[in-house]
Amino acid sequence: MRIPRILCAVAATAVLSSCSAAPVSDNAPTSEVPGYLAVADEAVTSGGTLDLQMTVDNGAATGLDPQLADVATSWQLMSLVYETLVTVGPDFSIEPGLAESWDNPSPTEYVFHLRKGVTFSNGRAMTADDVVGSFERLLAGQGVWKTQIGPVEKVSKVDDRTVSVTLSSPYQPFLASLANVPAAVLPIKEIEDGSVDITREMLGTGPFVVKSHRQDVSWQFTRRDGYWAQGKPSADTVNIAIAGQEQARMAALQNGSADLVMLGNVDAPELLNGVRGTAVGTQATTDFYYLMLNSNAPGGKFDDPRVRQAINIAMDRRAIADSALGGLGKPTGVTPAGLPGSCDPAQVPSAKAGLDRARQLLREAGAENLTFELAAYSTAPAPAVAQVIQQNLQRIGITVNIEQLDEGSWSGKVYGEVPATFDAALSWFAGYADAAMVGKWWNPEQAGFNVGFMEPNAELNTAIDKAIATPAGPERDTALQQLCDAVDTDAQMIPLVTRPALIGYRSDALSPTLYATEGYGNVLRGIADFRLLTK
Amino acid sequence: MRLFTWWLRRALSAVVTLFLVSILIFAASRLMPGGFAEVVLGPFATPEQKAEVAAKYGLDESIVVQYWLWLTTALTGDFGISMISGEPVTTEFGLRLPVTAQLTLFGVVAAILIGVPLGVLTAVRAGGRRGGAALGRLASGLGVSVPEFVLGSIVVFLFSRYALGLTVGGYVPFGEDPGGNLRSMLLPAAVLSVFVVAVTARTTRDAVLNVLVEPYITAAIARGESPGSIVVRHVLRNASIPVVTVLTTVTAYLLGGAVIIEYLFNLPGVGTYIVQAVGRRDYAVVQAGVLLAAVVFIVMNMLTDAAAGVLDPRFGSAAKGRKR
Repeated sequence: MRIPRILCAVAATAVLSSCSAAPVSDNAPTSEVPGYLAVADEAVTSGGTLDLQMTVDNGAATGLDPQLADVATSWQLMSLVYETLVTVGPDFSIEPGLAESWDNPSPTEYVFHLRKGVTFSNGRAMTADDVVGSFERLLAGQGVWKTQIGPVEKVSKVDDRTVSVTLSSPYQPFLASLANVPAAVLPIKEIEDGSVDITREMLGTGPFVVKSHRQDVSWQFTRRDGYWAQGKPSADTVNIAIAGQEQARMAALQNGSADLVMLGNVDAPELLNGVRGTAVGTQATTDFYYLMLNSNAPGGKFDDPRVRQAINIAMDRRAIADSALGGLGKPTGVTPAGLPGSCDPAQVPSAKAGLDRARQLLREAGAENLTFELAAYSTAPAPAVAQVIQQNLQRIGITVNIEQLDEGSWSGKVYGEVPATFDAALSWFAGYADAAMVGKWWNPEQAGFNVGFMEPNAELNTAIDKAIATPAGPERDTALQQLCDAVDTDAQMIPLVTRPALIGYRSDALSPTLYATEGYGNVLRGIADFRLLTK
Repeated sequence: MRLFTWWLRRALSAVVTLFLVSILIFAASRLMPGGFAEVVLGPFATPEQKAEVAAKYGLDESIVVQYWLWLTTALTGDFGISMISGEPVTTEFGLRLPVTAQLTLFGVVAAILIGVPLGVLTAVRAGGRRGGAALGRLASGLGVSVPEFVLGSIVVFLFSRYALGLTVGGYVPFGEDPGGNLRSMLLPAAVLSVFVVAVTARTTRDAVLNVLVEPYITAAIARGESPGSIVVRHVLRNASIPVVTVLTTVTAYLLGGAVIIEYLFNLPGVGTYIVQAVGRRDYAVVQAGVLLAAVVFIVMNMLTDAAAGVLDPRFGSAAKGRKR
């Protein structure tokens, strides 16, 4: 059969055009400003509609109350409306927020001077009473963040624009903990007189107000008049679509129906490389994966610390970061990599021991040929992380059976029973904005969620307390390294690698401000500055 | 009178089926590992918070009491509150049903306008020398065989590169922006239609081929009737029952939520809503959603029977109890 010439010509053209469709350029955003992936171009005229797509909606079982929000998605969405006394800069320094300055007359005293001209979106001026009331409400409530803001003993109004906070003992992460949404300043007057139900509607001092919300479908925010920061926000409207399917988000980015999308696939930068007009940024985060070994596991599999230590030694964090996270994660100890003062994961005891030592520990514990089940949820890239762990442990004769579960089944298995009945499980923590904060979750009496599978360790608790109490400086660095060592030796919850956040945006339509590293998972931290190029 | 008795028996059978479905779905939702509190309140929830949620939604009662309360309130049209949004389940479904109904409408219209003529055409040309019939069979075979997620993924990929004015995701209600709505619904509807059209075409083809070998068709040919007249006057009506059955079954399936299509194209329809609810153990939504799907199937089956009686009097006679 002869092939018509015209078909040959078409085929040749297709081949040539596909060859010429090589990457136009590497589409990773580059910023010359240290600490930023991208900085919005202020020369661009304000206005326009910003279309975003996120993976999941606010976890709404606790409603819209920011003090009960305990996941990064909620923090992101709520940060459009609520603001905090202080905020964190790209280098994790503490910067002014609703407080324009503060004094720290002693290690246990903080005096905040509130910014002038701040109003809630109903027009009422924010006062010191709102700040005091917000603290009191947080401390009296059930939100997890009251553990993170530390040993607050007394909060008092000095005058209409000054608030004093006294701690019962020094607590270095105090300011960093105030920089997250659960510590936002709420409209206490309206909450108390019942004119606002804060669990069902949002009323804050932030740059946007909620125009509409359909749970799990969409949000629409509009710029609010009277926002205290001159000329902000830039966008008139922010539409956020909740799009669970990665492929649909990537398609929306490619065809221009979304200006910015959150991506979960670590291969996204490669997949979108060369797609004209798009950029994919990898935001390092302080969030990290960790492996839970249940000290109450059936058959006492992990009640001997030597078994846990052997498993910890066999963890090849670099391999996890490279194979499961496409090289975008970083090995970490309990002080998240990337935070000032965080310990070097290569210096913890398990990193200095070899596989022979791991095998020896297993022999001593009589646990050669150990087999256990590893519960991992099915959201990428957790299954890939689990597979690398499985391969890591094969090297010391441990057989891991991966049990891949939907999130509901996984949560029930890991948190549903006390004592817990699972063997091992994989999860991740938000790493926050101070190196000692997340370490508090290694004390089950403070964290609560791990009492079913983690035995309290007095030595570890001492290290946690020391790390949070020691002021910044060389002594703190030592305390943080000691904390890492104690967690490493305890090995009931084993830190592994940081969890990157992937952000795709239309470089031909949007000029965003994005931090290079984020502590509270808030990709939208700079949204008030975002500039739309074409709308 | 016999017809009335027949319909009464069908209605009673439907009620019993729905009752059994309600027990099954209630038990299944409660037997799923992991509970609402663990899933949605998260790991840091205190025992007090979990207890508060359990008490608020009656989850602290025994399963029998929970079922009874749900059943008795459901009979009044109140299917409970979504534990995620805090809104009535009926309101939530009301918001999502238009998306699913629109997809269903597109699918069924495509099946009638494309699938039926295609099936008739491939049947009447089955013995011909031209390759049209074989091509039709191949196309319908492919349409039935290619999984929706494969075809959908290809379409998503292609249209992410070459949008041609159409959008992937970005659903907007028809009332708000008819043009935007059509741009967002056309691709998912097209993908969905491939299967629906293919299965309708195959069924139509088989039904028409079965009719074409009947003696009265031979007689019509012998009488010198034109092929077009034979198809219109003798074939279509006699071949229509299996086609109607397939169409109603497909309609019922689509109304229950075309989960994969809705998920792939990020459409906020009934299917994705139920799947999300299963994942988050939003029991009231799961129970109402599955019950809704069962009601749709049962009603569509009854309508199919009624349509069959109209199209072919022999079915009506059977329904009336006459021995054939």
